[in-house]
Amino acid sequence: MQPLSRWISVSALALMALNAPAQAAVPADALVGPIAEYKLYVLDNLEQLVAHTREFTQAIEQGNLDKAQALYAPTRVYYERIEPIAEMFADLDASIDAREDDYEHGVKDPDFTGFHRLEYGLFKAQSTQGLAPYAKGLMQDVDDLDQRVQGLTFPPSTVVGGAAALMEEVAATKVSGEEDRYSRSDLWDFQANVDGAKEIFELFKPLAAEEDAGFVKRVQGNFDDVEAILADYRVDPQDPKKGFVSYDKVSDADRRALTGPVNVLAEDLSTLRGLLGLN
Amino acid sequence: MNSTHATPSTAHHAPSPRLMRLGLVASFLLMLIAFGVFALSLRAVESGSDDGTLIEIGARGCQPSRVEVPAGERTFTIVNRSDRAIEWEVIDGVMVLAERENIAPGMRQPLRVDLAPGDYAMTCGLLSNPHGELHVTPNGNAAPARALAAHDFVGARAELRVYTTLQMRKLERASAALAQAINAGDLTAARTAYLQARRIDQRLAMPIGLFGDLDQRLNAPADYYAGREKDPDFGGFPRLAQGLFSAGSTAGLAPVAKQLMADLDVLSRRLAQASVPPAQLANGSARALQTWHDRATDGEMTPLALNDLAGITEGSAKIVTLIDPLLARQAPALQRQLDQALSALQQSLAEAAQPGADGTTSTAESAAPDALQALLDAGAVPAATAQRLLANSEALAKALAAVNHALALSG
Repeated sequence: MQPLSRWISVSALALMALNAPAQAAVPADALVGPIAEYKLYVLDNLEQLVAHTREFTQAIEQGNLDKAQALYAPTRVYYERIEPIAEMFADLDASIDAREDDYEHGVKDPDFTGFHRLEYGLFKAQSTQGLAPYAKGLMQDVDDLDQRVQGLTFPPSTVVGGAAALMEEVAATKVSGEEDRYSRSDLWDFQANVDGAKEIFELFKPLAAEEDAGFVKRVQGNFDDVEAILADYRVDPQDPKKGFVSYDKVSDADRRALTGPVNVLAEDLSTLRGLLGLN
Repeated sequence: MNSTHATPSTAHHAPSPRLMRLGLVASFLLMLIAFGVFALSLRAVESGSDDGTLIEIGARGCQPSRVEVPAGERTFTIVNRSDRAIEWEVIDGVMVLAERENIAPGMRQPLRVDLAPGDYAMTCGLLSNPHGELHVTPNGNAAPARALAAHDFVGARAELRVYTTLQMRKLERASAALAQAINAGDLTAARTAYLQARRIDQRLAMPIGLFGDLDQRLNAPADYYAGREKDPDFGGFPRLAQGLFSAGSTAGLAPVAKQLMADLDVLSRRLAQASVPPAQLANGSARALQTWHDRATDGEMTPLALNDLAGITEGSAKIVTLIDPLLARQAPALQRQLDQALSALQQSLAEAAQPGADGTTSTAESAAPDALQALLDAGAVPAATAQRLLANSEALAKALAAVNHALALSG
């Protein structure tokens, strides 16, 4: 936006804010339950993440390429769902989930570790050779994450802001297909990010509806649209565990069709914090 | 503006071409300056009255790479001068304090961060780039810490509910094991199961204390009843302890265990809905400690009382971690006092529960059965240890009792 038009819109917004009736903020009491529920959701997913990572990394250490490839995407799901919390730990987020582009020397960078380093080995090099240290490191990091999150008091604004953060993540790295460039399992991560965002939305939906029913309806509709398109790419619509087809199979038309509702969701959800008086 | 500066040059009778050029250049420069002032005034509108700190991120890191700002709410404007989308974060230790993600190349994004004095790191584009330093200095003329609002307690209260929910699940499992051992008439197993279940029950002393009826049925000692041990209403954990440890038998305890399970079921449903008022966090914990202290002062300090104290201390430790961040700004001195009182009590407990052991803490979350057994084998607690536990538990109770005043809470 140009500075002038921004200035005009800022003043317009300021005027609107002055005219709007004072909005009753959501009482603090009402926020306690949903935030507690969200932590329990995160802890459940972490328990799954630890168990799946154990199986995944053991397959690598045993040199079982097929099994390791098959477990890569289903394991990541539990991380992708809880990313707003996992990302709070900068060191672990880097060592668990950074992509090669985050490093000066790309895949050759000695600090490039975690899921995407393993993805590179398993799907590009098509071998478990030399991956055991990365597998061990990932298991340690995931255990460490589990410990830290257990002791963490979730900041309410991070929890509520997490819904938008997840959809922004989808818009920035999933629609483009850069997240899982070797395994092409992007749709698994895509769905997991949507799951995580929807969980937060559902928990705060009753509170948000009291403030703005239209907002809730719009967000619900956009979630439905995104999930309907994703459902078309499930391997077996009856069995969600089987996951998704390769991202290469997603038509350009559908990639474009996803962009719209994903961006609107990210934008709408970014107002949830303000709506609940948590800014 | 343009015309006023153009006029003098044209008004003279013989404008030389050189003067003309100079005039044009001068007016052009003035116009640029005017534009600059205009742009600056726009920026001032955008960033409010706060001093924004400009940080440019290039391919190799932040510019400047070391920033110093006074404590308080600060605005940073991050400009991406690299050729890829980047994020910028303020990191406290390993925790991300604030972040701005997906800043496209060439774009600028503002970020407001509330900063306490201290040293922070900034991520600067690529993870392989060196971190920048953010030094936050104490703000001498800042207003005193603002009073806490109800919303400031939401995080702590939610975390307490999570803790309560998870401990309740454990308590129900441990109590099921206890009921099973009693039904099977296995005294040894029942004693071990009792110690584990009771320890978890005592961790929850504060939240359970919110429900008078259940607290009485689960935890009231015999002397609270008219007929004492013989009173038909005497039940819960104290009745089970009396049977298992004083009478040394599981006889007649099966119905007591059954009622205990039923009471816990009601408790877990109530706790799932309970909103612990902020004032109860510290006050409720202080009361639980003080009650233990007063009872232990009156009688002999038994291993069972020690087991109770271990549970109460674990529950209090959780509360202290919830209160600490709130105290840090409002009353740092009390925060230090609270932390010291807690660790002194934990230290004494560790020594009391494991005589001769080298400080291996028995107050850890996983109460190993053999640690409990060691505690029982030790028999009565030595007088010096008992005195220390009494003094330490009272000190922590007093520190906790001072919290509400410091946080300007009443109730």
